[in-house]
Amino acid sequence: MAMPTPGDVAALIGADVTRVEQLSGGASSATFAVDAVKADGRLWPLILQCAATGSVPEGGLPRADQARLQQLAFAAGLPVAEVVRVLEPGDRLGEGFIMARLPGEALAPKWLKSPDFAPARTVLTRQCAEVLARLHAMPLNAAAGLALPSGSTAQSLERMFANYRRFGVDSPVFDLAFAWLRERVVDRPAGHIVHGDFRSGNLLVAPDGLVAVLDWELAHLGDGHEDLGWLCCNSWRFGVWDKPVGGFGERDALYAAYEAAGGGAVDRDRAHFWEVWGTLKWGIACLQLGDDHVSGRLRSVERAAIGRRVSEVELDLMHMLKFGSV
Amino acid sequence: MAEQIEATTLIEAVQLFLAELEPDLKGRRAFHAKVAQNALAIVARELAQDPQAREQALLAGVTGHGAPLDRQRAELCAQLRAGTMGQGTPGLVDALLEVAIAKCAVDNPRYATLKRLGRSATA
Repeated sequence: MAMPTPGDVAALIGADVTRVEQLSGGASSATFAVDAVKADGRLWPLILQCAATGSVPEGGLPRADQARLQQLAFAAGLPVAEVVRVLEPGDRLGEGFIMARLPGEALAPKWLKSPDFAPARTVLTRQCAEVLARLHAMPLNAAAGLALPSGSTAQSLERMFANYRRFGVDSPVFDLAFAWLRERVVDRPAGHIVHGDFRSGNLLVAPDGLVAVLDWELAHLGDGHEDLGWLCCNSWRFGVWDKPVGGFGERDALYAAYEAAGGGAVDRDRAHFWEVWGTLKWGIACLQLGDDHVSGRLRSVERAAIGRRVSEVELDLMHMLKFGSV
Repeated sequence: MAEQIEATTLIEAVQLFLAELEPDLKGRRAFHAKVAQNALAIVARELAQDPQAREQALLAGVTGHGAPLDRQRAELCAQLRAGTMGQGTPGLVDALLEVAIAKCAVDNPRYATLKRLGRSATA
């Protein structure tokens, strides 16, 4: 994939572009900061996300549909970066879209610990609860036509188990956690639009509170409680373990604000079920990242080292199974 | 001293070398140099603490035999998948908690859950 020039991007959005700078990316996908200027002279900061066609993982959400879901969320008034342009095959930049670049801090360890963000931390639990409540209250037919992956809870659990078994690793802790989940799984049909990666690392935060929810690429149809559980997984607290909601809040406050904002009644056992699930899911993601190195797909000291984070997950899972929570 | 240059000495020497390189590195390579130093620290702790021996002994307490670690793990996983073992299996949860503590103390001794259990390196 060639680096897009300012002229390429200008043609896509119909405005002058003064700068295109790659922020991150590898062989198959990349993120660029774009500085554009509107016809009236106002600066127009944008983000271009694109991926080589076909790079969407099997069962994943095509980027064009991710962009459309973001547009739907934006139109519903949720804090989301407005999508400006969805890439088309004729644009020759692969799959992707251009969206507003909003001011804020995306590095969770910074906004979780810096005194400047103390006011944000006092309101974030309520703000996250409101976003999730409103997202989960959206009717499923709002997303009709989008290729959102879907499946019952039991089907998703078996998919996750098959994914674990792909790596040929025997982790008694992971298998005990799977057994624990299987005993408790209630086979609900997919009833909500789920963000799928709603965690502190995907929140853009200003000193006074939430600016935007990022990274909608794992969105799917499922049980809304999944987002509540995932937000509370210990890995996203960045060491602030005594604040179970993302390192900044309390579960009781999250659930109360979610109910008050119209998200429906929160079933605590079900939220805990999803927290165990999410912890295990992150552990399997660590196996996957370690396997990038072991398999030779992406040989890197960083991937190899992430594989050792499996033991953090195993410890959290055992803490939950022994003491009821982490 | 068994050897003049023991494995731990080599690890320290390579860590020193990586630290020397650091000022010349930028971006991804600087980050990877830090990750590499951390990876060597894991190796040093693993050599010192031998968590596999501890895991093998703890799992043997559940299976009731002293097979090598890989076979112990495979047997426990097979039983858990088959449902012939579970949370109620005597000693299983406590043994796996201790195994997890021993592994995490090697891989990330500063991890919050270790501190919480009073089992971090500094606790």
